[in-house]
Amino acid sequence: MKTVLRQLWFLVAKDLQIEARSHQTLGLVTVLGILILVVLGLGLGRQELASGSSATAVLWVAYLFSGVLCFEKTMSVERQDGALAGLMLAPVDWGLLFVAKLIGNLVLLGTLVIIITAAGVLFLGFNVMAGFWPFVIITSLGMLGFAAVGTLFSAAVSSSRLAGGLLALLIFPICLPLVITSIQMLLSVFRDANEIDSSGLAILIAFDCIYLVISWLVFELLLEP
Amino acid sequence: MNKTFFQNWGSLVYWFLTLIAFAVGVWLVFAVVPTEETMGPIQKIFYLHLPIAFNAFLVCTVTFVCSVGYLWKKQGYWDDLAVASARVAVLLCSIVLLTGMIWGHSAWGVWWTWSPRLTFSLVLWLLYVVYLVIRPSIEEKGRRSLVCAVYGIVAYLDVPLVYLSVRLMPDIHPRSIELAPEMTWVLLYWMLPVVMMTVGLLCEGYSVQRRVSEQQNQTQYATRQTATSIHPTGELT
Repeated sequence: MKTVLRQLWFLVAKDLQIEARSHQTLGLVTVLGILILVVLGLGLGRQELASGSSATAVLWVAYLFSGVLCFEKTMSVERQDGALAGLMLAPVDWGLLFVAKLIGNLVLLGTLVIIITAAGVLFLGFNVMAGFWPFVIITSLGMLGFAAVGTLFSAAVSSSRLAGGLLALLIFPICLPLVITSIQMLLSVFRDANEIDSSGLAILIAFDCIYLVISWLVFELLLEP
Repeated sequence: MNKTFFQNWGSLVYWFLTLIAFAVGVWLVFAVVPTEETMGPIQKIFYLHLPIAFNAFLVCTVTFVCSVGYLWKKQGYWDDLAVASARVAVLLCSIVLLTGMIWGHSAWGVWWTWSPRLTFSLVLWLLYVVYLVIRPSIEEKGRRSLVCAVYGIVAYLDVPLVYLSVRLMPDIHPRSIELAPEMTWVLLYWMLPVVMMTVGLLCEGYSVQRRVSEQQNQTQYATRQTATSIHPTGELT
């Protein structure tokens, strides 16, 4: 167990160190996320945003598109100089590679969500303090499932000749149940000032568990140097 | 030659019987079963809508099972059956959505409403459309089958959600339906032509897909043979 945790730590630290040195992924996806916020914010107008029903959906659109680019970039790093082939030859369980990639992606997504939400507070007038903890719980659960599916299919796409846009095509329909449930729950909290919905929460947790288990099981089948 | 002749005749007879079964179903709906008081004649669309929806779930299950089968055995026929079933799933889901929209327009006055079951049915249709759309984008056959098998498994998660959405979330669809006995019998009868149609489409789709795969295998083999017979200097060996 100690060896596994040590290996996991090294794998996650490797990904985060690469990102800390290059700032390639986070810089790019943050700018894309803010751009989406600005474009949609301008399109919707002040009155629509002030009603409080649009801001959560706009934020989720920004998370999704930036997230897809994030998955693409983190997996494409492994393709350079045969890094993935090296990892696959290392005496590490391939399932652990999935967990490490997932944790790396979650750290990046978490940072992305914080920055984009802060931009949403600034540009869209989104009052996150009206339901801060429900927002944190719902978004975290949504992001966990999204990251599991994203990490799985980024491995499939990066080793084939699929164009980048097709990763979004693969991930979005699969994540739609998660996205719909998350947005509905956020709307209930921010627009209708309700408590967090327990049946919605159960759906989110169920989806996260299923996505995590399936992704972990089939990830190594999709790995190709 | 004879085998092809009988296969074609067998298929023709099968589709003819299916057509007769549909004709009997239509006669039952319009001549035997009484018209529902509240909804009027538009309610008769229900006899097609429910069996098609049920069969759409079944076909999605076939895609799921074949995807698991491909990951387990890595045999091409699993992938071929998965593609054929995904095509039928898209067709059936389209019919379910269309008949549902016609019903919705009559019952609720709108063609579309974002209720959980309708939304998740649309997501199901989208998932299987994407399954078919991404296939040509992956050139290498083994890789394509592998990615699609994984996608087929993950996409299936939406099926229980479509079914359970009415129980888990507030929806305009009823949780259970009470029908007059003759309505129930006619509804059960309609399962027959729809199942026959689904099985027929699956078999036809599978045989077409199998032929396409064999042709692709032969082309890939011929390309590989040509590539290996050319010497690095460019001369044919």
